[in-house]
Amino acid sequence: MSSKKQHRIFFQGPIPAQKIADDIQKHAAKTNIGAHSIFLGQVRADELNGEKVVAIEYTAYELMVEEKMAVIREQFFEKYALTCMHIYHSLGRVAVGEICLFVFTSSAHRRDAIDACSEMVETIKKELPIWGKEICTNQSTVWKQNN
Amino acid sequence: MGIKVLFFGSVTDITQVGELSWDYCADTNILMKGLLGRFPALANKKYFLALNQQIIHENCQLKQGDTVAIMPPYSGG
Repeated sequence: MSSKKQHRIFFQGPIPAQKIADDIQKHAAKTNIGAHSIFLGQVRADELNGEKVVAIEYTAYELMVEEKMAVIREQFFEKYALTCMHIYHSLGRVAVGEICLFVFTSSAHRRDAIDACSEMVETIKKELPIWGKEICTNQSTVWKQNN
Repeated sequence: MGIKVLFFGSVTDITQVGELSWDYCADTNILMKGLLGRFPALANKKYFLALNQQIIHENCQLKQGDTVAIMPPYSGG
């Protein structure tokens, strides 16, 4: 349905819980939906060299992310029977405890929404040129590594 | 016009800039040789190249106005 639309995924700073609630509410009008699946990534207070992480600062190759996401969206809409899919990733500084990633998939039946959501989170981490720099209490920084 | 070179993530710790204009050169091998001359610490770094937003795995011909990005492994999410 909305697979051809260009979607900007970036959100400046943390993603507010209110936005997540509002986005769920917006789907009340789409009555062919029977299932939503949501993944929220939250910045964790890791400890690096004895210093606590207080925030992550995200940067990205935005143009490349947009081009890749357009292709990835097509693939997901072909693979899964999705009604819609919304993805938001933070740019800039996100403090510990705040939300930095919001993946929201909807379908008629639960399996498509759940599987697409889970695969999309892995795809984002693996395929999108985005980088996180962890900032510690003493202002030292460490570039984040994905497992 | 030359070549637009972009640096991302931990690579910018070495280059200190996110972007620079490079005199035109024929292919990405020549470009990287030049960049390694200017930023020797890149030699110890793991990175990928993208030519006009497409990941490349081998030497590629360049044309005026191309964009080459030097990117360390991704760490989004």
